Amino acid sequence: MDMIGLYPMWYEPGIGSGWIIGVIATLHVLFSHTSVGAAILFAVLAYIGYRDNRPELIEFIKKYGLFLLVFSYVLGSITGPGIWYSTTVGSPRGISALIHTFVWKWATEWVFFVIEVIGIYMLVYLVGKVSVKTHMKIAVIFGIASYGTMVIIIGILSFMMWPGQEKWFTDGGYLNAFYGEHTFASLAVRTAFMFTMAAVVGGIVAAGLKDQVFKRWLVTRLSILGIGSVIAGSLMFMWYMNTLPESAYLVYENRVPESFIPMVLTVLALIMAYFIVTLIQPKFVTATVASIATVAILVLGLWPGETIRESIRKPWVAGQYVYGNQIIGRDVPGMNVKSEIPAIEEHGFTKTAVFWPESQREINYKNAHEVGRTLAITTCTNCHSLSETGIRPMVNYLGGIGDYERIKTYLLGALATGNTLYMPRIPLKDDEAEALALYLASLNDPGVVARYQAAKSAVAQNTVEE
Amino acid sequence: MDASMLYALRDPMGVPAHPILFLVLGVLTWALHIAAVHIMLGASGLAIWGSFGNDAYKRRLAAAMLMTVKVAISVAIVLGVAPLLFVQVIYDPFWYTSNVLSAWWVIAFIVILILATYLLFVFYARNPKLADGAKTSCPGSMIASVLLLLVVGFIMHVLAVQMLSPDQWMQWYAPNGVIDPSGTKIHDYNIWRFGFLIALAAPVTGAWLLAYRRYLQAREDADHGYLNWVGSLAQKMAIIGGVVSLVFLGIWMATLPEAMSGFAFSPWVIGTVAVLLFTVFLPNILGRKLDQGLWGYSILAVGTVALIVVAAMREAVRWTIIYGQHGYNPLDYLVNMDWYSTLLFFLTFGVMGTLVVGYLLTVAWKAGQSASMYTPSPAVNRLGNIAIASLVIWMIHYFAFGIYTIMT
Repeated sequence: MDMIGLYPMWYEPGIGSGWIIGVIATLHVLFSHTSVGAAILFAVLAYIGYRDNRPELIEFIKKYGLFLLVFSYVLGSITGPGIWYSTTVGSPRGISALIHTFVWKWATEWVFFVIEVIGIYMLVYLVGKVSVKTHMKIAVIFGIASYGTMVIIIGILSFMMWPGQEKWFTDGGYLNAFYGEHTFASLAVRTAFMFTMAAVVGGIVAAGLKDQVFKRWLVTRLSILGIGSVIAGSLMFMWYMNTLPESAYLVYENRVPESFIPMVLTVLALIMAYFIVTLIQPKFVTATVASIATVAILVLGLWPGETIRESIRKPWVAGQYVYGNQIIGRDVPGMNVKSEIPAIEEHGFTKTAVFWPESQREINYKNAHEVGRTLAITTCTNCHSLSETGIRPMVNYLGGIGDYERIKTYLLGALATGNTLYMPRIPLKDDEAEALALYLASLNDPGVVARYQAAKSAVAQNTVEE
Repeated sequence: MDASMLYALRDPMGVPAHPILFLVLGVLTWALHIAAVHIMLGASGLAIWGSFGNDAYKRRLAAAMLMTVKVAISVAIVLGVAPLLFVQVIYDPFWYTSNVLSAWWVIAFIVILILATYLLFVFYARNPKLADGAKTSCPGSMIASVLLLLVVGFIMHVLAVQMLSPDQWMQWYAPNGVIDPSGTKIHDYNIWRFGFLIALAAPVTGAWLLAYRRYLQAREDADHGYLNWVGSLAQKMAIIGGVVSLVFLGIWMATLPEAMSGFAFSPWVIGTVAVLLFTVFLPNILGRKLDQGLWGYSILAVGTVALIVVAAMREAVRWTIIYGQHGYNPLDYLVNMDWYSTLLFFLTFGVMGTLVVGYLLTVAWKAGQSASMYTPSPAVNRLGNIAIASLVIWMIHYFAFGIYTIMT
């Protein structure tokens, strides 16, 4: 009998491991996109600065670069591996799928990352200490290397949603996994967004400039960059939406709030309004205003956007073959990967899961509740909290039901057969479904366990007497 | 937990090249990462030590080390990404389990590292004139930063140790048969192993100081009195720190599980002791040669080799336990060979990376030695142009392969 390589589970009842991953990842997106956008902006400004002999532009690069070093690079470079760490503990098989598919691509990105970090230090600290041409070269290297990190990670993020080419499932191949129309649509959206962020965050630094004439000149250019990137980003977002597969649309239409598109449009309009105001009236840009704009984009734009992106790939968590609850739910013959569903269907979780207490390998009425808890932790807590707080609390979905038999009917009828949209197929065996149902029922009615045990005990007693 | 269960935890996707490549790269990049960590910790210690008191040399060194720490922490983070990647590739059953079992500590790692970095930045920002004898401001931030960095190191140590005990995992996860999924506990550590790896910060920073000293000797405005003082301090750090490290190593070896008792006398450990001793006493052997040519940098070069040997020894410990005691062979991982991404990495690393990093470091090196504005030679300029061209070619390749894949 094949064992199923499910890892131990980390269950965080307060806010949920999913939100912890989400917070770290969203912060990283903010810092990394700002840095990459600014890196390319620096190369352009350095070119103009040296071409037109405008030292104030180079001074601005130095100030903005220092600002990025202190904020974006510290937080970005720590939250980057931080995503690995948080997904490692929250979704080990999900991150493992990405790591094992793209280890070389990630290693390649690391080379660019090394160049990027050396580049930002040199760009900032060698102003005036190396020749103009040399500093210009450093700016160009820094800009291209930064964008290099972006183009690589985009392919991996796209695969996380769905493989670039459908034929990857049958033929395998790294290129089929990495490249698809969706990859380039994502890259286009994020490229536009990184310039938006560079323009907004650039306002924080520009606000501190003492030369009012230069400040006006600069803020005007940043505003034009912002307006252009918002328009481009909006167009690219439409392209992006057209590259979503049918399954994503299905989830999108059924699970995503109707307010999402109006909210996106509102956020875009607000960002656009901000840049138009700063274009007309550069004095409006102060460090406080630009900081508020940055936080507003993070909270109102980036967070919901990333949350929706996470949602529409469900029930999968990586490559449309690893379920959110870590089970491999689909064959990938091109990579010799087999679905684990048949093995679980035949033998059950209790017999096949690696990290399963030996005392719970056999289910009886005495340990059913505890087995149910183990099943809930193993198969549910990636997406559902077992407490009243946290991510999608299970009690909210049970409608106050304390009748384990009704829950069992649902588990066997809808969940074990894979007929619930947005949910993975969880092929529970009859006794497992009963144990899980008992545990879930006890969340609403703790007394159900004693009644269940008493009833089962009586049945057992009668059986013995007969 | 028997070997079949460990094998079941493996990722069915396999690996895109022979596992030995990931093992070797993991060892090499971990050595580079730990070197940066050592310099970060050693320089932090010197910055704190130098900023107390009024000795001009000490304060000057403190100012220089503060700048070193600021860069070293970034370098340590960026270099740490690579071994973190490679350990997940071939040791995934062990690494992931260890992480999940102490999940909150893994998350805490991120937060504490951010805090430590910002406390360092606070001290840096508050003491711009440390070398000029200005009163030291907010030393507590620097001390707290170092303490938090040690906590961060300890968390990594715990994860590396816990992964070596598959026989304990189930008991840690489900004590008495009841699952504890909280991830709040630290289950295992070896303070002597941790002490050994941290104590190495002293000799490594000593080697770094000797290179720093030699580098500044080349400047026209070099202060030889200060540099001689730095040289003397570096040698003391190397010898005393080296001896302390070896004591820790000895106790670590003595506390290895009984099944590994012979490991202490294996070539791995004997080689480690020999190369560490050679490194720390090399400055005494070289004597005045340290002021000539590249000899002043030789200690750092030999020290780097020593750290690679230490990394190999650390890997041998892991191998001996995981393969020798638990029957799991990381090298028999399923290979789904992918030539494109394998070659792409080595070409990016070996060609583009070498050209670009080579150019950047050459410029940084020369600019640091130049009292006036540095203007590169035509050869260095050419190197810069080739480096940029290699980046552009890489980008063209990226889009060309992407379009080709979509079109076919």
